[in-house]
Amino acid sequence: MKPAAFDYVQSHSLEEAMVALRKYGGDAKLLAGGQSLVPLLNFRLLRPAALIDINRIPGLDRVEMIAGDALRVGALARHHTLETSPVVARHFPVLHAAMAHVAHLAIRNRGTIGGSLSHADPAAELPMLALLLDAIITAESTGGTRHLAARDFLIGALTTALAEDEIVTAVEFPALPAGAGWDFAEFALRSGDFAIAAVAAVLTLRDGVVGEARIALMGVDETAIRASAAEGLLQGQRYRPELIRAAARSACAAINPITDLRASADYRRHLVEILAERVLAGAWNRAEGQAA
Amino acid sequence: MSAELRPKIIGARVRRVEDPRLLTGGGAFADDLGTPGALHVAFRRSDHPHARIVGIDCAAARAMPGIRAIFTGEDLDGLVKPILATSRMRNYHPTPIPVLARGKVRYVGEPVVAILGESRYLAEDALEAMEIAYEPLGDVVDPEQAALPGAPLLHEAAGSNILVSREFSRGDVDLVMAEAFVRVGGRFRFHRKTPVAMENRTYVAEYDRGRNFLTLTSSTQVPGIVRDALVALLDMPGHSVRVVAQDVGGGFGGKTSLYPEEVLVCALARKLKTNVRWTSDRLEDLISTSQAFDEIIDAELALARDGTILALAADVTGDVGAYSIYPWTAGIEPVQVVSFLPGPYRIDTYRGRVRAVATSKPPMGPYRGVGRPVSTFVIERLIDMAARRLAIDPVALRRHNFVSGDDFPYKVVTGLVWDHSSFREGLDEACRAIGYDALRSEQRRAREAGRWFGIGIASYAELTGIGSRISAAPGMPINTGTETASIRIDSTGTVTASFGITSTGQGLETTLSQVVAQTLGVRIEDVRIIQGDSSAVAHSTGSYASRSTVLAGGAATLAARAVREKVLRAAAHILEAPLEDLDAADGAIFVVGTDRSITFRDLARAVYSEMGRLPKDTREELEATKVYDPYFGTTSSATHIVTLDIDPETYKIRLHRYLVGEDCGRVVNPLIVEGQVHGGVAQGIGAALHEEVVFDASGQILTASLADYTIPAAGDIPPIEVVHIEAEAPSTIGGYRGMGEGGTIGAPAAIANAISDALAPLGIEITELPVTPERLFQLVRQAQAKAAKEQGSS
Repeated sequence: MKPAAFDYVQSHSLEEAMVALRKYGGDAKLLAGGQSLVPLLNFRLLRPAALIDINRIPGLDRVEMIAGDALRVGALARHHTLETSPVVARHFPVLHAAMAHVAHLAIRNRGTIGGSLSHADPAAELPMLALLLDAIITAESTGGTRHLAARDFLIGALTTALAEDEIVTAVEFPALPAGAGWDFAEFALRSGDFAIAAVAAVLTLRDGVVGEARIALMGVDETAIRASAAEGLLQGQRYRPELIRAAARSACAAINPITDLRASADYRRHLVEILAERVLAGAWNRAEGQAA
Repeated sequence: MSAELRPKIIGARVRRVEDPRLLTGGGAFADDLGTPGALHVAFRRSDHPHARIVGIDCAAARAMPGIRAIFTGEDLDGLVKPILATSRMRNYHPTPIPVLARGKVRYVGEPVVAILGESRYLAEDALEAMEIAYEPLGDVVDPEQAALPGAPLLHEAAGSNILVSREFSRGDVDLVMAEAFVRVGGRFRFHRKTPVAMENRTYVAEYDRGRNFLTLTSSTQVPGIVRDALVALLDMPGHSVRVVAQDVGGGFGGKTSLYPEEVLVCALARKLKTNVRWTSDRLEDLISTSQAFDEIIDAELALARDGTILALAADVTGDVGAYSIYPWTAGIEPVQVVSFLPGPYRIDTYRGRVRAVATSKPPMGPYRGVGRPVSTFVIERLIDMAARRLAIDPVALRRHNFVSGDDFPYKVVTGLVWDHSSFREGLDEACRAIGYDALRSEQRRAREAGRWFGIGIASYAELTGIGSRISAAPGMPINTGTETASIRIDSTGTVTASFGITSTGQGLETTLSQVVAQTLGVRIEDVRIIQGDSSAVAHSTGSYASRSTVLAGGAATLAARAVREKVLRAAAHILEAPLEDLDAADGAIFVVGTDRSITFRDLARAVYSEMGRLPKDTREELEATKVYDPYFGTTSSATHIVTLDIDPETYKIRLHRYLVGEDCGRVVNPLIVEGQVHGGVAQGIGAALHEEVVFDASGQILTASLADYTIPAAGDIPPIEVVHIEAEAPSTIGGYRGMGEGGTIGAPAAIANAISDALAPLGIEITELPVTPERLFQLVRQAQAKAAKEQGSS
């Protein structure tokens, strides 16, 4: 379990990194936290010609509120920074709640936001939250800058819309609607383990009627997904237990889970329905609490 | 100071003397050893479960940069013999283990080619350039299929895949079963597990060609066994082979066997007259370190109306993997299952049959608990199933059937003997400490509230500290019944105590320091323990089978007593006092009732350095070597009680309370005993809920990383309460019983019983471990389908 030989390139600015990426023409990997990349190298499942270390690029790790109460997170921000940020806890409590489920503390200390998005593991929390919160991902290359919606950025398992010479530099989370209720639930075999299934929701109520409903699911398809049909079911409706159950069933119908060593597809479907019911009820409670 | 007032060291919560070293990165593990210029080995391992080796092409690999040598199995002819675990057991077929595969491969992960490079990186680069052609042979994966006549053979010379078969029988089981008031039983399955020590296996061979001296620094638990085996396999004189295991990062039985990689680095260091080293990576650890348990048990228990056990019957199939492991043999695990199945109960009528079947999987070896986690799981599940059928409380049913009082010493139908151990007291104390009756009330309320709340109990007995009367593995030609201690006071008055046993992190340096310090009359800091070194004593095996405190502690006591006598004789001359008036404590010898005393330091100077202080013919070396043999060994026992909740929707299991009431005889250090119990229970929780080595139908291993082989993390372990029962002391020196394995023995059974208890309203009995959420999901679905069908038909 030793990696094959590779060039090591230390970059001190974004420009240097982008130039190096272009130079290796798709045969280089960016080294940020290394939490997913290094195991893949050690198993020799990846054998890039070069690793371009971006850890020393200044200014890429900021977590800050920007205009319109949006949150901007630099690609080099560590999971732990997001998990413990008071700003995140206050403005994006659902993101704060999800971050505690990201692997173990040692991994959260090193793993980066940009790395998690670029790696696009179907059982990772951050891509799911980006999808839930309609995040915008900034990708830069020597050719220019692109802003991609999370739903366009996440294409498949370990696959994104990122071009070979592009670097994720930041992700922006637009402000949550005022008075939004939220909830997040994850089922894993052990604390810190990969999720077998996770569900997150954001709900807004106007006079007891659902204004906006967002539901994201993870671990049960090629990528994290939004349960659009279930969101539609809730739109404009008042609370009824049957409504929640119907939405949960609808979310369950949208997924395409696999059977692996941890869980069967049937069990994953069962879990998504249970978790969706709980999360929708939780989000509704919070939204009502906000309205009161 | 009278004996009563003296500070007691044995029994005190002494902080571990090795911890400052181990916790601050000061340990000396095998991989830490600096060996400039050493060659690094990378193994090309079989990716076939069972195949003939058609051809090996090393030419391209040989030409790679930094590659110094490449060896195949054939290249080792004349350098080293195959490893062979012999035994006097009847119906046993030993299987030679080649150091590198010869002719065929028998499991995925078996070493086939060794590449020696200037670095591990370069050696692994060359692995990819190797070409090996295989011709697949028949599947030998399912042990029951492999046991059938006509199945493809893994070892043609053995003539069968059944490497061991054995039967214990007494009484007419079938007749008693037929006439019994109630019978419970079923097919039980305990899946394969692997130890996952934090330190991977590591072997560093240093060859001193000027002296023809070989030093192996190894992550082994058994330096003595390895030294003796190397001498035979390499045909070298014993005085020229030394095996050192300074700090070892966990073993749990996975480091008690001799491994091909261990022998290979030695053979090649000698052949190439240089240093050769290999450190396993986690992938190699998960596919080539000895694995455990993996048994199918068909068992039945018959009882009278009042709950008295009448008969027990069991057929055990153990999947022992590709080879009969050295020195323990393929019998070590499955034979123990049938030997220990009767548990702490009075059972006169018994039939236990076992067969150990070879399959194309990594070899099975000893793992913490050996056989007894499985036997305890089965008998304790049967007891609970019977309690439910008879509507008797499971605590009462256990008490009713325990071996107790005048029954001791009790000869089990399988030949084991229980000396007096606190079976009943352990159960009663555990129930009292956890508030068993209140828990049952809590359960009634929880059930009314729709919760799935369960209480699980497991009681067991184990044989520990076994002496020379019986071997640690059946029929094995190795003396596992003695240990040696060599204690010396040097000319500065400090004490060095040398042993052949090995600490893998369990705190033996502290435990043995306590025994030596109190027996001699010195302070703990005056004692240095040397262990894990085959050259420290003439003979030793190592640390396994809950033996080290009993055997090495006993030998330490004997040797310390002998040295103390010499110390007191010398002091009698110097203090001009009668011998019987002298005592020693806290680093000094004193005349009782006076202020006359001499420190050990001054006494040592007087004996060794100051000419003429002692008459010439009274001067004795202040050292002694003693061997201790507990002969039979002694019985340790415990009761575990656990409470848990199962989420009725997601099937997530949450453990609430975990309590262990255990009798390990006289406790040398409660801190260490509790630590051992905590660690053992954590591993038992892993076996109960998480860990399983999984193979596909062709024998490919699917759990080859820690992402897929899931061990519990700290957050998955509840607080564990420990109650010590120091009842009647056993006849071992010091009154110690072994206790290193018990936690792992009790936990799987207790948790399986608690889950079954929680699911009792659904009629679900747990018969397969680990109980994963997926398995619970399937069980509940089946139970619901069955209930719906019954409702439909009624």
